[in-house]
Amino acid sequence: MARTTRSKAASGSAKTPGKASAATTPASSNASRYALSSNAVNPPKIFILPKQATSDARVVSLSNPRYNKPTRYLVCPETGLYEFTRITAPKSTPRSWLIDSSVGLQKEGKPDPSRKPDGDDTEFGAYVAKGAELYLATSIDPVFLLLPALTSDETVKGEGGKKMFVESDDYFDQLSKASRHFSEILRWGTMRQLLEARMAAVCDTVDAGGELMYRFSQEKLLAEMLSKAKRMSKESLPPSMEERFVVKALEAPVLGLKREETTTSTSSASTHKQETTESQSSELTAETTTNKVSDASTAAKSVADEEPTAASSGLKASMQASPEVTRLQRLRVAFSFLCSSYILPSQVSQLKKQLLEQKELVDFGPLDDYLAQVAKLRQEATLSRSMGDYSRKHILDEEEMMDRAEKKRKMEEDEKRKKAGESRGVKNLKKVNTTGMKKMSDFFKKT
Amino acid sequence: MLEARLEQSNILKKVVDAIKDLVQDCNFDCNDSGIALQAMDNSHVALVSMMLKADAFSPYRCDRNIALGVNLVSLTKVLRAAQNDDVLTLKAEDAPDSLNICLESPSADRLSEYDLKLMDIDQEHLGIPETEYASTIDMPSAEFKRICTDLMAMSESVTIEASKDGIKFAANGDIGNGSVTLRSRTDVEKESSNVTIELTEPVTLTFSLKYLVNFCKAQPLSDRVRICLSSEVPLLVEYLLSNDQNTGHLRFYLAPKIGDEE
Repeated sequence: MARTTRSKAASGSAKTPGKASAATTPASSNASRYALSSNAVNPPKIFILPKQATSDARVVSLSNPRYNKPTRYLVCPETGLYEFTRITAPKSTPRSWLIDSSVGLQKEGKPDPSRKPDGDDTEFGAYVAKGAELYLATSIDPVFLLLPALTSDETVKGEGGKKMFVESDDYFDQLSKASRHFSEILRWGTMRQLLEARMAAVCDTVDAGGELMYRFSQEKLLAEMLSKAKRMSKESLPPSMEERFVVKALEAPVLGLKREETTTSTSSASTHKQETTESQSSELTAETTTNKVSDASTAAKSVADEEPTAASSGLKASMQASPEVTRLQRLRVAFSFLCSSYILPSQVSQLKKQLLEQKELVDFGPLDDYLAQVAKLRQEATLSRSMGDYSRKHILDEEEMMDRAEKKRKMEEDEKRKKAGESRGVKNLKKVNTTGMKKMSDFFKKT
Repeated sequence: MLEARLEQSNILKKVVDAIKDLVQDCNFDCNDSGIALQAMDNSHVALVSMMLKADAFSPYRCDRNIALGVNLVSLTKVLRAAQNDDVLTLKAEDAPDSLNICLESPSADRLSEYDLKLMDIDQEHLGIPETEYASTIDMPSAEFKRICTDLMAMSESVTIEASKDGIKFAANGDIGNGSVTLRSRTDVEKESSNVTIELTEPVTLTFSLKYLVNFCKAQPLSDRVRICLSSEVPLLVEYLLSNDQNTGHLRFYLAPKIGDEE
């Protein structure tokens, strides 16, 4: 189980606990007199730390590989680096933490002496934290932290802009420049070996007199990223991502699906049905549209067992992503998620380009074909919807209608003005037989 | 900023009257040398090119090249308000939405002012090279107009045949055929009725009369017209904007009819 504890940052705030405890602990009725006066400058934060991280782990500030800004990481000399993910309650539903450190420590069973260096925890007792933030430390591949140095021009470019093999120290030096803590963690335990091993994973190496030299390799990085993405997308992405980027993206429109049963079918439902829908109250139409929407969301599931009927209606609504296509979409989403989380934007575009080019690594062809088909179907669906479904148009496309009317009016106006601006002579000239006459542009060159 | 004062407002009026039946909208390109215009008819077989030189104006000021996109019918409506002896002033900003037209009567007791909305006209501009024509005919503009309108009664097209004997306009139609031949003629007393023919080689070309008649609407501009012909190139019909050389010119080009001998 993960431990719940206070961070180093929190221990800074522990200088104010005298006041804080005065506010929170006494149960006496007049305690409220001093309440609320003490807002800690640096309130404690709640972290979930990995079990395998040893007690020597420290929070350090390193340069974020994506945004190039100092960011806090948990570094354990034995097990590697961890990044923090902040989880907060949405602003609409504010929450707070009630932290009772004594309970946490009791549950833990063996209070870690290093965690309470000056014993003020006992005095500290309970605490109310205003923001219900939870920091989750998860392990991060150190290779990402190395990337900025590996790809930067400073160390890499030799004369003539050619990429050079460089010692790992040079890379580390550059990183140390960006964040002071980096040189510190290099001295910890096996950290240096770990970083060098990871560096080798994305670099071409060369042995120069017992000293290993490194040169960044785009191909290796791509392979590394791809294997990460594959691992991430092996089963299924996290539910929120899966729903939004995989299921939604691959979902074919419910064009004519269950056409016989639903009144608000899109395209060619009989006019009679449309009339009834129109005459119904707006509530009802709203209801039917929501019906439709829910239809849409369940479509992917319902498609499978309805295949025969849908197929008989001759429509491609039965189109469902094959496992292969789903896998590819997952892979692509995972890949771009990783890229957008850990890699510099400039690097990302190169990687994506390379990924597209190197078809032998992974071929997104089937996925692209499928997506193109879905896009086409969607377009058709919107088209037929705007033509056939009046009730829907009423609600959704009012603006579009206005736009269209405006455009039409403008066109007509233009036409009229053009007509008005045409003299009789010009009109008559239009009737002249010009066969055998070449255009002026055949004689004179355009300038 | 354009500011151009034209003492003889009727020059502009006649120019516009001459081309408004050929083109509908066109750009008046103003630069420091004057106001120029180039436009084609809807079928792109005829081209009109006008140059109204800065010298024709007093004063003329144009700091930056400006294209005034004008509908000629609208411009005609405004110019209709001009009396023959009115002084006309054109004014426009550097990136104009409208063209300001001032009309002053010479006695200066009447001042009319119009703002004409402009439009963006996307026109291709053709480069017209100086051409040595095989035959150049100078003749009274009224004579040319008369020939064209007369032959129009016979046919839709006219064959112009220039040889050392003279120039022959021939039309062959359903009701019969007709032709007019002009010989070169020099009248010292009445120079305006002279017909001069310069010929390096004989030419015979056929043209649409409807278009020629259309060109003749420029006749009020000048007593004289110059017709230039060469085989396989467009006919040039040129009018000077006034009897003074420095005012400018109005040129019409028309593609010959080829392979259709009617």
